Amino acid sequence: MANQTPQSTKVADFDRPLLLTPGQDWGNYLINILGQALLFLITSLSVVAVLLIFFFIIRKALPFFLKHGVMEFFTSTAWYPEGSPAEFGAGTLMAGSLYVTVGALLFAVPGGILAAVFLSDILPFKARQIVKPIIEILAAIPSVAYGFFAIIVVAPWLQKHLGLVTGTNIFNASLILAVMAVPTIISVAEDALTAAGRELREASLALGATRAETIIKVMLPAAHSGIIAAIILGMMRAIGETMVVWMAAGNASQIPTPWWNIFASVRTMTATIAGDMAESPEGSDHRLALFAVGLTLLAFTFLLNLASEHFLGRSRGGGKGRKK
Amino acid sequence: MTIGFRQKLDALFTSISGLSVILMTAALVLVLGPILLKGASAVVFRGTVEFRQMQLELFGRGNVLDIQAETTEVEAARNEVYSIIDHFKKGIDADVQIKQARDIYREYGRQLRLRQIPSDKFTAWRQKVRKLRDALETAYTTSDEKEALEQLDFVLSQQNIPEVDDTAAGQYFQMARDYRKIVTEVGLDHKEEYADKFKQVEEIIKDIFGPRPGESTILMASEQFGMTRWDRTLFHLNRLLWVEEWVEKKPGEPLVKVQRPRVEQFAGTEMVKVFDLMEDNLQAMQHPKLTIYWQYFFDGDKTTGHFFGGVGPEILGTLLLTILSMLFAFPLGVISAAYLIECAGDNLVIRIIRTCINTLAGVPSIVFGLFGLAFWVPMISTISGNPAGSSIMAGSLTLAMLILPIIIRASEEAIRSVPHTYKEASLSLGASKLRTFVTVQFPAALPGILTGVILSMSRAAGETAPILFTAAVAVGGVPDSLFHGGTLALPYSAYNLAVGDVTGARVPHNQFGMVMTLVLLVLLLNIVAIVIRSRVSKKLLGH
Repeated sequence: MANQTPQSTKVADFDRPLLLTPGQDWGNYLINILGQALLFLITSLSVVAVLLIFFFIIRKALPFFLKHGVMEFFTSTAWYPEGSPAEFGAGTLMAGSLYVTVGALLFAVPGGILAAVFLSDILPFKARQIVKPIIEILAAIPSVAYGFFAIIVVAPWLQKHLGLVTGTNIFNASLILAVMAVPTIISVAEDALTAAGRELREASLALGATRAETIIKVMLPAAHSGIIAAIILGMMRAIGETMVVWMAAGNASQIPTPWWNIFASVRTMTATIAGDMAESPEGSDHRLALFAVGLTLLAFTFLLNLASEHFLGRSRGGGKGRKK
Repeated sequence: MTIGFRQKLDALFTSISGLSVILMTAALVLVLGPILLKGASAVVFRGTVEFRQMQLELFGRGNVLDIQAETTEVEAARNEVYSIIDHFKKGIDADVQIKQARDIYREYGRQLRLRQIPSDKFTAWRQKVRKLRDALETAYTTSDEKEALEQLDFVLSQQNIPEVDDTAAGQYFQMARDYRKIVTEVGLDHKEEYADKFKQVEEIIKDIFGPRPGESTILMASEQFGMTRWDRTLFHLNRLLWVEEWVEKKPGEPLVKVQRPRVEQFAGTEMVKVFDLMEDNLQAMQHPKLTIYWQYFFDGDKTTGHFFGGVGPEILGTLLLTILSMLFAFPLGVISAAYLIECAGDNLVIRIIRTCINTLAGVPSIVFGLFGLAFWVPMISTISGNPAGSSIMAGSLTLAMLILPIIIRASEEAIRSVPHTYKEASLSLGASKLRTFVTVQFPAALPGILTGVILSMSRAAGETAPILFTAAVAVGGVPDSLFHGGTLALPYSAYNLAVGDVTGARVPHNQFGMVMTLVLLVLLLNIVAIVIRSRVSKKLLGH
C-alpha cells in the first residue's frame, strides 16, 4: 500500500478543463498580440537610436553648412577654425583619414585574407581552436592600449632606427590600425570561405588541383562577395577609429608632400573631433564644424555599411543558389 | 608546369599564409608584452624610504616607529650631502649671505636693547657694526676679487673691537673667513657660473630626496616626497652625474648628443665629494626594498599627475560606466534578439530594423561621443536639474547605445544555437510560445548570451571616444552623483598619461601601469567569456 501512493500521484491530473472558453481564447489572443507589439516596440528602439543619432548630428551640422556652404568644407584644404576669418576646409582632414585607412588596408587585407584562408582551409580543427582566441584577444584589446603602444613603443623606435623627425606619422598609425582591422577581416572572410561549401573544394581537388590552386582559383572567387564585405568592414574599423590616430598620426593638419611620403604626420577627421572639442566653445562655429565633420564621417560609414550588407547578402544568397 | 613545381608553389602558399598567422600572433605578443611586463613594475618594484613615508602619510599604512627609525638612519646619511651643499651654497649665493648678514645685524640691535645700553652709545655701536655689515655686503656682491679681499680684510681687522664681544655680530668674522677662503680658492669669476650649475644640482637632489626635514614651503603636492622608487632614483642619479650636451663635431653636420660627467663642472671644489657620495652611498640614503604594492589597484591619487598612489578611482569609474551601460543595454538587447528570432518574419520592417542594428554597429565611436554630447548631456541636465556637463549617466547611456548591437547579435546567435528539439518538445507539451522561451530556450541560451554580454562589457570598458565628451575627466575622482560631474576612467587617464609629455615622463611606471590595468580588466573578461563559450559548445554538442 505504501508503495502504491507515490505511483498514483504520477498520473497526469486533468482537473483543469482541456478546452478554453471563448473568453480565455480571446484573452490569450489579445495578450499575444499586445506582447508582440510591445516586443516590436522594444526592438525598434535600435531604429529610434539610429534616427536620433542622425537627427542630432544633422541638427548641429546643418547650421554650419547653411552658413559656410558645402563647397568650402569639402574642397578647401585650409582648416583654421580659430583664425579670423575662420576657415573650415576639411580637405586635409579627409585626406588624413584616407591616408591612414588606405595604409592600414595595405597591411591588413593581404595579411587578413591569407590568415583567413589558413584558418578555414589549411589548419586542422584542433589548432584552429587555439588560434581563434588569439584573434579574439587581438580584437578585444582597447584602442587606447593600441594607441599607447604606438606612441610609447613604436614612435620612439621609428625615430631611432629610421632617423625620422617624428615617430607619430601615417606609417605608425597605419601599422597599428592594420593590427586592429585584421581580426574583423579574418572573421568575416573566414565565414565566407567556410560558407562557400565543401563540395567546391572536393571537386577542385578531385580534378587534380593542388590546395593552393584550389584556394586561389576556386575558393577565393567563390567567396569574393564575403571577402569584399570583410574588406569594407575592416575599412570601417580603420576609418572610425579615434584614439590610435589621435595618438599616433601626429595631428599635423597637412597633406603630405610629396604625396607618397608615408612618414609625414597627418590629422584625421576623428582625431580632429576628439582634439578640438575641448577648445571650441559651446555654440561656436568651430563646435558646429566639428559636428559637420562628424556628419561626414557618419554618412561615409553609413554608405560603407550598406555596401557591406549588400555584399554579405550576396555572399549568403549566392551560397544557397549554388547548392540547388 | 610539372607536378613537382606545382607542389612547391603549394607549399610556398601554405607557408606564406601560415606566416601571416604567425605575424598576427607576434603582433599580439609585441603589443601585450611590454604593456604587461612594464605595467607589472607599477605593482612590483624596489620602493625607497620615501615610498614608505608616502604610504604612511597619505594612506596610514606601515609601522610608524619602524619608518621613523628608518627615516633617522637615512637622514644621517643624507646630512653628509646636505652639509657640503649648504657650505658650498654659502660661498656662491650672495642673497643668502646678505640676508644672513642683515639678520645678524637685526639680532645685534635686539641684544643691545636687552642689555639696556644708553641711547648715545647704542647708536654709535650700531653704526660700527653696520660698517662691518656693509663691508661684508660689498664683498658678497662685488665681482672684483681685489675689492672683495680688501673689504673682507677690513672686517677681519675689526675682530677685537669691544662692541661685538658676546653678541651676534661675532658671527660676521666667521662669515668673512669662510668667504675669504672661497674667494682665494675658487675666485669670483666663476661665481655666477657656479650659481646656475649648483642650482641644477640642488634641484636634482631635491627630486631624489624630496623636501628637506623642516622645509616648510612645499609648492606642489607632487613635490611632497622624493623618489619613491629605486629605478626612478637611479634615473635621477644618472641625471645628476651626467650632463647632456649637443655638440657640433664637424661644421655643417647635425649636432651630436654627448654625455659629460657633471663633476667636471665643479672640479677642484668641495662639491666633488657630493657626486662621490651620491654615487657610492645612495643605497644608504634611500634604502631600496622589494615592494609588492597590491594596493595600487585600490589607492586613489590626489596629485594631478599620478605621482603617488594608484588607480583605484579609475577602476571604480570604469566599472560604474560599464555596469550601468550593461544594465541599460542587456534587457533591450536580449528582448530585441528574442523578438527578431521568434516573432519576426522576413518582411520589409524587419529588414529595416536589421539594417539599423548593423548601422548602429558601424557608427564610429567618436560619433557616439558627439551624439552623447548633443543629446544625453542636455537630457541628463534637464532631468536632474544640474548644469549641463559630463556625468556618469550620460556616459553610460552613450556606451549602452554602442554595445546594444553587439548584445543583440550575440544573443541572437546564442538563441539560435539552442537545438530546435528543445523548443519543439516544450511546445508539444502544451507550453505557450512565451513560456517556452522563458523557461526552455532562454535558460539554454543563457551561457551563450552571457558570453556576448561579457564581451560587450570588455568593449565598453575599453572605449575612450564615447566618454571623452560625456563622462570622463582628467583630474578629480569619482563623483557622488550619477547625474552630476565627470568621473576618472581608465582609458581616458591612460590616454592622458601617454600623451602628457612632462607629467607622463616623470611616471613611466604609471603610464604602463594604467594601461596594464585596463588591458588586464579586458583580458580577464575575455578569458571568462572564452571559457564559458567552450563549455557551452561542448554541452550543446552533447558531450
